[in-house]
Amino acid sequence: MVARRHSSRAEADLGAAARSLPSPCTGDLRLVRSTSTTIRFANGRIHQPHLERSTHVSVRVADGKRLATATGSDVSAAGIAELAATARSLSRIAPTERKFPGFAAPSGRAGRAIAYSNSTAGLSPERATAIAEELLEAASSEAPGARVAGVVTVGSESLRVANSSGLDRDTARSFAVASVLVQRPERDPPVSGWSEGAHWDASRLAPARLGREAAERMARTPPRAVEPGAYPVVLRGPAVAELLRFLSHLGFAANGEVEGWSCLARRREKRVAPEFVTLVDDPRSRETLPQAIDFEGSWTAKTGLVEDGIARGVVTDLLSSGRLGRKLTGHAQPPEAPWGDWGPVPCNLLLAPGDADEEEMVRECRRGLLVTRFHYVRVVDPGRGLITGMTRDGTYWIENGEVAAPARNLRFTESVLTALAGITMVGRERRIFSDGGNTVTTAPVATRAFRFTSATLF
Amino acid sequence: MEELIRTALAATESSSVLHADVRLVAPERFISLSVRNGAASALTDGRTEALGVRVRTRNAWGFATTSDLRPGPVREVSHLAVRLAEAAGRHAREPLRVTDDPGPHGGRYETPLQKDPFAMPLDSVVELLTASEKALHVSREVRSGIATFQAWEENKWYGSSDGASFTSRIVHVGAGLTATAVRGSNVQRRCVPSSHGGDFAQAGFEFVEGLDLLTRAPEGGREAVRLLDAPVCPTGSTTLVLGSAQLALQVHESVGHAVELDRIFGSEAGFAGTSWVAADQIGVLRYGSDAMNVVADATEAGGLGTFGWDDEGVPAQKTPIVHAGVLVGALSSRESAAQLGLRRSGGTARASGGDRAPLVRMTNVNLEPGEFGFDELLEGVSDGVFLESNRSWSIDDRRLNFQFGTEFGRRIHHGELGELVRNPIYSGMTPSFWGSMDAVGERSTRHLWGLPNCGKGQPSQVARVSHAAPVARFRNVAVRGG
Repeated sequence: MVARRHSSRAEADLGAAARSLPSPCTGDLRLVRSTSTTIRFANGRIHQPHLERSTHVSVRVADGKRLATATGSDVSAAGIAELAATARSLSRIAPTERKFPGFAAPSGRAGRAIAYSNSTAGLSPERATAIAEELLEAASSEAPGARVAGVVTVGSESLRVANSSGLDRDTARSFAVASVLVQRPERDPPVSGWSEGAHWDASRLAPARLGREAAERMARTPPRAVEPGAYPVVLRGPAVAELLRFLSHLGFAANGEVEGWSCLARRREKRVAPEFVTLVDDPRSRETLPQAIDFEGSWTAKTGLVEDGIARGVVTDLLSSGRLGRKLTGHAQPPEAPWGDWGPVPCNLLLAPGDADEEEMVRECRRGLLVTRFHYVRVVDPGRGLITGMTRDGTYWIENGEVAAPARNLRFTESVLTALAGITMVGRERRIFSDGGNTVTTAPVATRAFRFTSATLF
Repeated sequence: MEELIRTALAATESSSVLHADVRLVAPERFISLSVRNGAASALTDGRTEALGVRVRTRNAWGFATTSDLRPGPVREVSHLAVRLAEAAGRHAREPLRVTDDPGPHGGRYETPLQKDPFAMPLDSVVELLTASEKALHVSREVRSGIATFQAWEENKWYGSSDGASFTSRIVHVGAGLTATAVRGSNVQRRCVPSSHGGDFAQAGFEFVEGLDLLTRAPEGGREAVRLLDAPVCPTGSTTLVLGSAQLALQVHESVGHAVELDRIFGSEAGFAGTSWVAADQIGVLRYGSDAMNVVADATEAGGLGTFGWDDEGVPAQKTPIVHAGVLVGALSSRESAAQLGLRRSGGTARASGGDRAPLVRMTNVNLEPGEFGFDELLEGVSDGVFLESNRSWSIDDRRLNFQFGTEFGRRIHHGELGELVRNPIYSGMTPSFWGSMDAVGERSTRHLWGLPNCGKGQPSQVARVSHAAPVARFRNVAVRGG
């Protein structure tokens, strides 16, 4: 097959394209443009610098209540017309989605871009490289001779959505994300430390602080073996972020509610955490990587997930709100990638801060573990919210309120509901963590009992 | 297309650039049809185009990509790739080294197809999915039924400043079913023919027809419901017989990733992790029992990791990885092979598209069959479990401590398969687990499984790989009910 050559990239009028879908078809269109620079470094050098400019357009057509989507990268009027024809052709053979409520008509107004940094969006390759160098050098000077590895990603993304009901909205966001590992692979067993952070403004990323923090978290003495068992834990921000991502998928994703396998399906409006625990999804907060509209053009809004310890409802898009008969919360993902098993999920989590700091949490712990982050976490049993994963890059044994010694890494197999119910303290200083798909803004957390089921050799 | 590649290469010409290569993937097509609970959860026809320019200066790589294939934007990303490499190389202490593999001059590779999924009407596919999904619902307790079909077409043009070039058209297809039965917080799932979306191959639609989904769907639904009433898998150290699909994933996680040279050298330390294997242990490290033989075979017909040349222009190869339990090889790119002191790359540098730089990836990493029939494997077991079809998977960042859950288990009593058990989990440490493998199934128990979702790299890349695995037996494995 021969690829088409774009002789012209004159951008089509997305709104006009949506309105021109032939009757009785309705539909919506998305245009995503992104520019990003990713600088990876390892073993003291930048080894994978990557710059990307991409355009993605998707057209979803509903022939009555039969839906299908076509995607491409040609944003010309002819390119979009071709996608619309492909989607329409596919929609004719689709099974009927009886509860599809139709495409939302426009209502209300809200800001187009909630937080956007022009300097971050326009960062040159050389400046992005300099941020990575700052991170690398800060970590290296703090831990001379150690292996330093990590990544800096900066860039911007714009989203425009139009539909046949007249909706035509756009938004944009900038982002800067960094992480760093400091490791002594030559030690037996190897030891390592970790730090990460994200912000919509690259000037607030504080790469040198991240580099120093990762180095400080690396064990200076050989880690000791800890017997598997249930222990109180103090979880640093990256570890909390990972647990909250899994809680949000297992408890607040729409498909789990529709199909009955959500671990919170029978616990809505019931107490699942202490009263001082409040978790919201707020894509409009400037303390996350904000997004003003979702991929169906709905305005995003703050959604309570756990309020004063009480479990609330799931998040929705057009289809799941129709299936559940619940209000639309503005959590649509692109229809061509509806997140597999999950359906719409919260993507901008914020855990309300408490008033403790990490030292106080450790002081309150008689025998337990301080965990920096988790690795390779996967669902074991969705109905019970059971997940498993490893600790990584800075695990410490706590004894009598003090960090007593580095610990070898352990595997946990625990329910997110047990971890949530057992929270005893929440930290006051929050940071933004992004894994590319989800953003979590959280402070460290202490939880009463966390079950570790095996140990590894390092 | 060739002109566009020449344009991109010409724009990389600079006194600092020692090598440049360009991959143009246009179009890359993706069809995803998914029917969930009687409705279309996603019917998608996707088409992307991307050109990626990679340059090497004395000290560093640079990579830039665009989806705009006009000459102007293409020249611009070439210039950006050079700027990135020059910026990255400023503080490098040592020069980059790569092997001097000669590239092809004008070769072409194409997937052999009987029924091209991109040239056939899709209505019959949607009908098959709709009927199969409906057939999963054998009981009201089957709360979720999903039937999926996926097909990818990658049209690639490769050219380098050394004059190397090739083109390829690779087609992957696959399909599968998932039935989820729910009773309170007891959630049980069965997939047909296996988890992770079913089964996948480099083939045409004839492969999907061979999966026989419609016939197998009711049994998938019935097994999910039966699991609701099954006892929880007992806990203890026992003899474990692993089915082919679960063993394929075991190979993937505890062998395939562990022998990627970029992990071994620390290049992935900040994200995916490293490896318990050290570079100087290749040739001497005891990885498993004498019964363990593993190859990385990018030439096996039907594999998702089969191609003509990798994304550095290195020809597809079959490389021994473990021979009689001893580690003898690794997966490599031109850079990592040179770092190991090899003269030639193993040809496993792959990118997930024109918009990504090649990384060391798996191809078809296969556990070679042994001599035991399935019944013979069971005969040696007085008390144990047979586990199959992955449900959860996790392994530490050096690929040592693992824990896998499977969709179902069957007790083994005195050489016979017995009752069904639910929520089985087994765990172990990579070398001791492979060291405990005392019997490997014969060729008739072997199946080449396609895995379409292997993640690695920043920005993220999802690779499609395959693993052939027979059935095998392991002694003294920690098993429990989750």
